[in-house]
Amino acid sequence: MATTACFIIVSRNDIPIYETDAGSATKREDASQMHQFILHAALDIVQDLAWTTSAMYLKAIDRFNDMVVSVYVTAGHTRFMLLHDSRNDDGIKSFFQEVHELYIKILLNPLYLPGSRITSSHFDTKVRALARKYL
Amino acid sequence: MGREVSESCMDGLVTEMVSLYSTRFYSNKPEIAARRIEAIGYQVGHQLSERYTVERPRFTDHLEAIKFICKDFWTELFKKPIDNLKTNHRGTFVLQDNKFPWLSRMSGDGQSVENGMQDPESKAAQAMNMYLYFPCGIIRGALSTLGIPCAVSADISSHPACEYARS
Repeated sequence: MATTACFIIVSRNDIPIYETDAGSATKREDASQMHQFILHAALDIVQDLAWTTSAMYLKAIDRFNDMVVSVYVTAGHTRFMLLHDSRNDDGIKSFFQEVHELYIKILLNPLYLPGSRITSSHFDTKVRALARKYL
Repeated sequence: MGREVSESCMDGLVTEMVSLYSTRFYSNKPEIAARRIEAIGYQVGHQLSERYTVERPRFTDHLEAIKFICKDFWTELFKKPIDNLKTNHRGTFVLQDNKFPWLSRMSGDGQSVENGMQDPESKAAQAMNMYLYFPCGIIRGALSTLGIPCAVSADISSHPACEYARS
């Protein structure tokens, strides 16, 4: 089943530190720019919503055509944003939780400057594997 | 993420780090050494606060975050919570720890401090103050990550108790 899934991690200073296109659908040419555009546009909505609730997983906060943006915010105000077309809420929540654990492992690396881009290919591989598993 | 480290190793590491920065790296410039140690503490505080808040929902206000630092965070670090928390309700909080583990093994030199007669140049007091920069940095890093920019200062009034004031 082909799914689109574009995932970015935005730090507390509004700098994207990681992005990947983890879907299994065949991509059109302008699709990746569109995905990023949609996700960046959703940042404003996340900003407003994040202060109204103390939950970490904010479900679907924005829609575009038939794709939905879901967001997960950590205590340090780092946002994990996912653009997807599936409707599997539980799977997406588990995906976010597992990525959160991976992110903490990256953060605990003393050589990693918090807020800088995540360039580890290991992290990339694992995120893609999790996307295949849960989405 | 569930492995443990021996406490005496931690004590030794902190002691050695402070003495390294004070004597080898910046031997004539204690202020710079203090700033570097505090910066290390800041990054550690950032990492630890992200790690210890995984399970719980996010904080809705400053007081919640400070209470988290006093109870859960301090317990994870030192196996005991902060003993006393005071506030002036205008942005300043004082956290008091009556038996701070990293200082509890250091010998004071028997001077009486309460009546303000302490010689400000006293080397023992200065040396002990150097050891407080690291925990100050940890607290500042943790609070900044939770969204509360602040300044943290520390003070030893009666050994081995110490107070952290955050504004």
